[in-house]
Amino acid sequence: MNNMNKFDVLKGEDRDEENSLKSKMDIKMTPAPPPGSGEHPIQFNYSLWFSKRTPGKQTTSYDQTLRFVGSFASVEQFWSYYTHLSRPSELSGHSDYHIFKEGIRPMWEDDANKAGGKWIIRLKKGIASRCWENLVLAMLGEQFMVGGEVCGAVVSIRYQEDILSLWNRTANDHVTTSRIRDTLKRILNLPPNTIMEYKCHTDSLKYVFRDRSSYRNTDLFMR
Amino acid sequence: MSAKESVSLGREIPATRRVILHDAAHMPNDYSSTPGGTIFSTTPGGTRIVYDRAFLLQCRNSPLTKSPPPNMAKIPGVTTPAEKGSPKVNGNPECKTVAEKPENPGDEPQFEMDI
Repeated sequence: MNNMNKFDVLKGEDRDEENSLKSKMDIKMTPAPPPGSGEHPIQFNYSLWFSKRTPGKQTTSYDQTLRFVGSFASVEQFWSYYTHLSRPSELSGHSDYHIFKEGIRPMWEDDANKAGGKWIIRLKKGIASRCWENLVLAMLGEQFMVGGEVCGAVVSIRYQEDILSLWNRTANDHVTTSRIRDTLKRILNLPPNTIMEYKCHTDSLKYVFRDRSSYRNTDLFMR
Repeated sequence: MSAKESVSLGREIPATRRVILHDAAHMPNDYSSTPGGTIFSTTPGGTRIVYDRAFLLQCRNSPLTKSPPPNMAKIPGVTTPAEKGSPKVNGNPECKTVAEKPENPGDEPQFEMDI
């Protein structure tokens, strides 16, 4: 009974945070302009985000460190952002780039991600920029062939390794998740011993209070 | 289940999309792709804009990508200034030359010792 109450309290806090966040983001997020003449439209508009964990005590929550960079609706608009951003490998510390479909926030709590999950690929240092570019181009060019299942992609720069992830809507849709895995293998040209892991966001949510990292507690799927 | 039901119905070819090229760099370099991406007419519910990696990389050379979008957020160390090669304010080299030490000859006698 006691535990139940605690849980409800936490749930309530989450809700409040989410609402305040939503209103905050409505102000900050500018929609992508329609593709201009000479531009190549893409199937879905996307938004680019950046986050960085501040060293030391974790007093700020994830959504406070998350910055909206901009939205784009064409290939040219994408490049005009991309070429004016640091490469992932040039970022310092604990940083991430997120590219998600416009309207989907790069967090588990978003309605599009609630029942979803992500493929995680751990990379040795030095290849993240190249792999990230290939991943993003495959996503924008609709290479995954899974309908509207893809939500977004993340590159996470960490101290010992870098991590790519691709998020999709439905974690228990195995046709989709295995098609995404096969496409990832094809487009990323990964070193032979690379481990790919799939993780449901609900697992991330369960463990978030314990270890603060969504890259732990994963199921290994191959090699 | 009758044989009639298993026959798929014919569909019209999707409307043509006209793509105007302003730059030779936008031409795909292989014959299997069309400028402006491949149109998959077999997707249920319509068409899907598909681009391969090589085509997307070519678009990077477009003059439209040369300046950052006007409303791009500015994040120090993440979003880079438009001009490359401009010197960064990253510390003052003059500060490092320790040539001019403050002249304080008056202090020296303090450390003299009588042996």
